[in-house]
Amino acid sequence: MTELIVPLLAATVQSGTPVLFATLGEMFTEKGGILNLGVEGMMSVAAFAAFVTAYMTGSPWLGFIAGGIAGMLMATLHGIVCISCLGNQVVSGLALTILGVGLTKFLGTPYIGMAAPGFDKFAFPLLSDIPVLGNIFFRHDALVYVSFIIPVLFWFFFRRTSLGMAITATGEYPQAAAAAGLKPVRLRYLAVGVGGFLVGLGGAYLSLAYTHLWTNGLSGGRGWIAVALVIFAFWRPGRAVIGAYLFGGVMAFQLRLQASGTNLPSSLLLMLPYALTIIVLVFSAFRGRGTEAPAALGTNIEPEG
Amino acid sequence: MDHKFPTRDRTPADQFGNVPAVRLVNLTKRFGKVIANDSINLDIYPGRIKALLGENGAGKSTMMSMLAGRYKPDEGFIEIGGKEVSFSNSKDALEAGIGMVYQHFMLVESMTVAENVLLGQEGSFFVNPREMVERVRGIAEDFGLDIDPEARICELSMGEKQRVEILKLLYRESQILIFDEPTAVLTPEETTRLFEALWKMADQGKSIVFISHKLEEVIALADEIAILRRGKIEGEVDPASIESKADLARRMVGKEVLLEIDRTPMEPGEEVLRVENLTGMGLEDVNFTIRHGEVLAVVGVAGNGQKALIEAICGLRKPPRDTIFINRKPWRKFFAESTWKRSLSYIPEDRLGLATLKNHNLVDNLLLTTRKGFAFGPWLDKKKAATKAQDLIEKFDIRPPKITALASQLSGGNLQKTVLARELFREPVLIVAEQPSQGLDVSATEEVWKRLLEVREMAGVLLVTGDLNEALQLADRVAVIYRGRILGMLPVGDEDTPGRIGPLMAGLSEE
Repeated sequence: MTELIVPLLAATVQSGTPVLFATLGEMFTEKGGILNLGVEGMMSVAAFAAFVTAYMTGSPWLGFIAGGIAGMLMATLHGIVCISCLGNQVVSGLALTILGVGLTKFLGTPYIGMAAPGFDKFAFPLLSDIPVLGNIFFRHDALVYVSFIIPVLFWFFFRRTSLGMAITATGEYPQAAAAAGLKPVRLRYLAVGVGGFLVGLGGAYLSLAYTHLWTNGLSGGRGWIAVALVIFAFWRPGRAVIGAYLFGGVMAFQLRLQASGTNLPSSLLLMLPYALTIIVLVFSAFRGRGTEAPAALGTNIEPEG
Repeated sequence: MDHKFPTRDRTPADQFGNVPAVRLVNLTKRFGKVIANDSINLDIYPGRIKALLGENGAGKSTMMSMLAGRYKPDEGFIEIGGKEVSFSNSKDALEAGIGMVYQHFMLVESMTVAENVLLGQEGSFFVNPREMVERVRGIAEDFGLDIDPEARICELSMGEKQRVEILKLLYRESQILIFDEPTAVLTPEETTRLFEALWKMADQGKSIVFISHKLEEVIALADEIAILRRGKIEGEVDPASIESKADLARRMVGKEVLLEIDRTPMEPGEEVLRVENLTGMGLEDVNFTIRHGEVLAVVGVAGNGQKALIEAICGLRKPPRDTIFINRKPWRKFFAESTWKRSLSYIPEDRLGLATLKNHNLVDNLLLTTRKGFAFGPWLDKKKAATKAQDLIEKFDIRPPKITALASQLSGGNLQKTVLARELFREPVLIVAEQPSQGLDVSATEEVWKRLLEVREMAGVLLVTGDLNEALQLADRVAVIYRGRILGMLPVGDEDTPGRIGPLMAGLSEE
């Protein structure tokens, strides 16, 4: 039994990682009061930017950083439309997704099937020797280990730093933040930018660690899952980890089921992780305290006067 | 119902000297043609509580918004500690030691008291929640403000939220604290505690400015009272030397007759409005009737239940069953069968908001309350409406005389004429006019009054106003409202009526 479960759980962690990065990124953005529905597009572009950078330079780490920067640039576009031009956040986010997915397909087609240096798995010293847990959590690529630290940093940032408090206040009640002498517009750009960077890292994971090959449609709806998981997580990083691994678990499970040569149609199996996410979301919404969302989420800051 | 304020057994401390902390010198502010503040001179001293008493619209908030850096004065200046200052925003004022507690709280609901107080003032990048809580608890204790620094704002009562706002200012070491109608949201118990906290702050050398239109509060609390009327300082009084509240009320509301109009009483016809034992919504046992051809004025200091009365009569709020009868029908039946014509017309105080759509032209604004004759099924006959609007513009002399003008482009007087033209076109049987001449110049006021007297031909009028002169000029009877109760129903014809209204407005009933 252990021989079946442990690899499945290890695959769960790997499948969940890109979604975890993206979910935390979207959560960071929403903490500042900006709803960014462009996650899917940002992930696509970031995956491509990471792949091309790694392909050109031969350095997967440079590729990883390039993915983050690509996500940040895309997010900044959303920031300019919503924060400076007071555009509608939903419309701008949707446009960003269409732009990102389309752009990736357009630029990426010549690279289909090519390989780039990616991240390889290695056993984390000492920790990988822990029975069972070591096999599940500590025999992955470096990016998975990075993803373990980020939720902790996220929590620490919003709970224990003045900048985190300032961003929270901006997402809840920007006028009050302004009255306290803060600069909500700058804080929102910061939230959008950092959030975009994290989403970009999720995209980079897809092309550099999840596969080492370039193919179209790599993000495959994971950006939308991230948006849903932020709601499931009640804007808390701890619950984001649970949500991401839940999605990753079902993803890994259905892949294994497909590989085992079942009669079930593969399209049905592919649907499973997404359908499950929706169901979980519905249940958490029933249980939910709808008041968890940042109060000013999705509303622009109208200039005074 | 009657609440006793804590007795004021305090003499303002002298150790802070007689040098004003802040001086307002010739401060003037205009909004368009309206002069909100007209060369205000006011000295505010450390260790003292200065009350600013005035009616709604007297210019209290404008004046304090200039002090708090929200508005720039058109003329005059502010001096702090003998030096002239100029604020371009509220942050400047805050840094100069001037803080304001607004009626609308600026608090982040999901964060704790301590986090709200220290927001933007943490002093370091990393913060320690326990240490923050202790810091806030310290100041709260110094000033006797009872609050749990760890509580989230969304769990707090209005009074507690207000204490958080005060703590924010105290933490920033503001020396001048301005309170804009702070008791409006408080229970009597919380009001008492606020007063005690204010005294304590004054004893520690803070200057307190307390804006209010409630006489008893101001007398109970303040060390000095400045009366503001129509944008000017009417006078300053020492609360210890006040002989009668009635006198204070009169000075606040104003008594001089500015304008007269000929009015011949009409023979009253059928009943158009009856209010019977109306209790609830802040009102208590309100009874009166209005008949065709009659004007009844309800006067009182703002905030004594006028709003609830108007909203109930006009169908904006549901009154208890069988308390209001319009055109001899029960309230529910009247509004169920409401028609465009021969109905009820409401002329609200808020002309550019409730009465009109500011970004729409005069034709659309005409169609807002009547579509009779301009509609065929779902279609509107705009051409016909435009012709009618043009007619009305000429008849009521509305300027600019263009049907394409937007409501927001009209002056207050012309906008009020537009609303009147529209409402009178409907030939109502009952008109509810709320502060119909507030903010209008003399000629526009005269025009509005003339129309309201003419309209008696077809309707009964309920006039709700804070302007005594307006009531005496237009009404047949005056009902004085105080804390939701009609304290007296006085016929205007009687010689002693004008003299009796003032004391009643201050709540001194005549048993």
